Amino acid sequence: MVLKESEAIVLRTYPLREADLLVTLFTRAEGKVDGVARSAKKSRRRFGGALEPLTYVRAHYEDRERRELARLDSCEVLESPLASEVTYARAVALAHVAELLDELLPDREPNDAVFRLALAVLSGLRGPDLWLPITYLELWMTRLMGYLPELSECMTCGRTLNGSRAFYHALADGLVCIDDKRLASSEISAESRVLAARMLRAPLESFAGAPWPEAQAADLRKFLIQTLQRHIEKKLVTAGMLEKGGF
Amino acid sequence: MSRFAEPMVRLIDELKKLPGIGGKTAQRLAFHILRTNDDDAEALAAAVRDVKANLRLCSICNNITDIDPCVYCISATRNQRLVCVVEEPTNIAAIEKTQHFNGVYHVLHGSISPLHGIGPEQLRISNLLRRVDDGQVDEVILATNPTVEGEATATYLSGQLRRAGLRVTRIAMGIPVGSDIEYADEITMLKSIEGRREL
Ligand SMILES: [Zn+2]
Ligand SMILES: [Zn+2]
Repeated sequence: MVLKESEAIVLRTYPLREADLLVTLFTRAEGKVDGVARSAKKSRRRFGGALEPLTYVRAHYEDRERRELARLDSCEVLESPLASEVTYARAVALAHVAELLDELLPDREPNDAVFRLALAVLSGLRGPDLWLPITYLELWMTRLMGYLPELSECMTCGRTLNGSRAFYHALADGLVCIDDKRLASSEISAESRVLAARMLRAPLESFAGAPWPEAQAADLRKFLIQTLQRHIEKKLVTAGMLEKGGF
Repeated sequence: MSRFAEPMVRLIDELKKLPGIGGKTAQRLAFHILRTNDDDAEALAAAVRDVKANLRLCSICNNITDIDPCVYCISATRNQRLVCVVEEPTNIAAIEKTQHFNGVYHVLHGSISPLHGIGPEQLRISNLLRRVDDGQVDEVILATNPTVEGEATATYLSGQLRRAGLRVTRIAMGIPVGSDIEYADEITMLKSIEGRREL
């Protein structure tokens, strides 16, 4: 068997048997790969802190004949989330990155755009800012997965929404104008739509520096999470934790 | 149709629920129990029943105990003003092995784990804050695991524990004793340098 090498982001680990760990990696070369790290729980020597979720690593692994799980040979830390202070808020945000990637990405399908996005968001989450990287991640993941509807026109009548009010519904795709809105719809502000359009055109770093309170684009995030959850047909645990707050 | 008699199937099914026990191992254990003498089998059943009937959490520190408060919390020779916070009751044994810690404990029964929906409100924190507020504590040592979840828990607790005159410390992280610096990963090395001490 050939030993493969790829940059990767550790998404999750689960204990497996006595001493092994089942590790879900998002590799740059092959997309999401599940592998077994033998004796990782007992002997920390080969893996050390490299298997902590959201660690950016260089992974060496090999596929095994007639087995779904790869064998994880070694992991070198390139960037660890433990290098900056881990507050409760940051832990929730990091877990949100892991959950979105794990739930939205298919197995064994490389996606370099998502990989670059994930690295940018992880580096954005090194500082105390939380809501900017999270909003950027949710918006771009929705777009890159192909779930983001046109934000500038009404899904029903096609009228432009720029400069007017826009609404969305938990059970329907896209935005609609005030005349086409259904009962129990939520509104998404014009500021948030303008911000989304700007975020779709510029890298994450270009938004850093300006303060980003929790309330900013909260309606956009709610819309994005509803869109994502409708597509994967399940609730995102960390979205609930973010909404609950208490940081 | 099952190959085994119904009571055997039941025992195998129950054993399979234990962590790390698969179907094969459960079968082996079940046959072992079948072959042992009546006294041993009865002792095993009684031990299982006893654990559930007689063990509870210490009202002071949340350790698992058969007497309340637990042996640590009533000990006259231990420093009751030095409290070491751990994630799980099993962590106490690891610290006791050193024979160098003479304080008492507080067990959280978990750590902050956002992927599992576990926030601080799911942890057992309130009786720790009560102990501190009653002026019974000089120092709290945060001995949660050196992981993202353990760090988040320690950082959260240090914020909650901020009181005049209370010392809050975190256990050191770094190179394992007997290993080689050459094999330390980047983050372990960084933490050892951050946590260095004067000689
Ligand atoms: Zn319309
Ligand atoms: Zn106790």
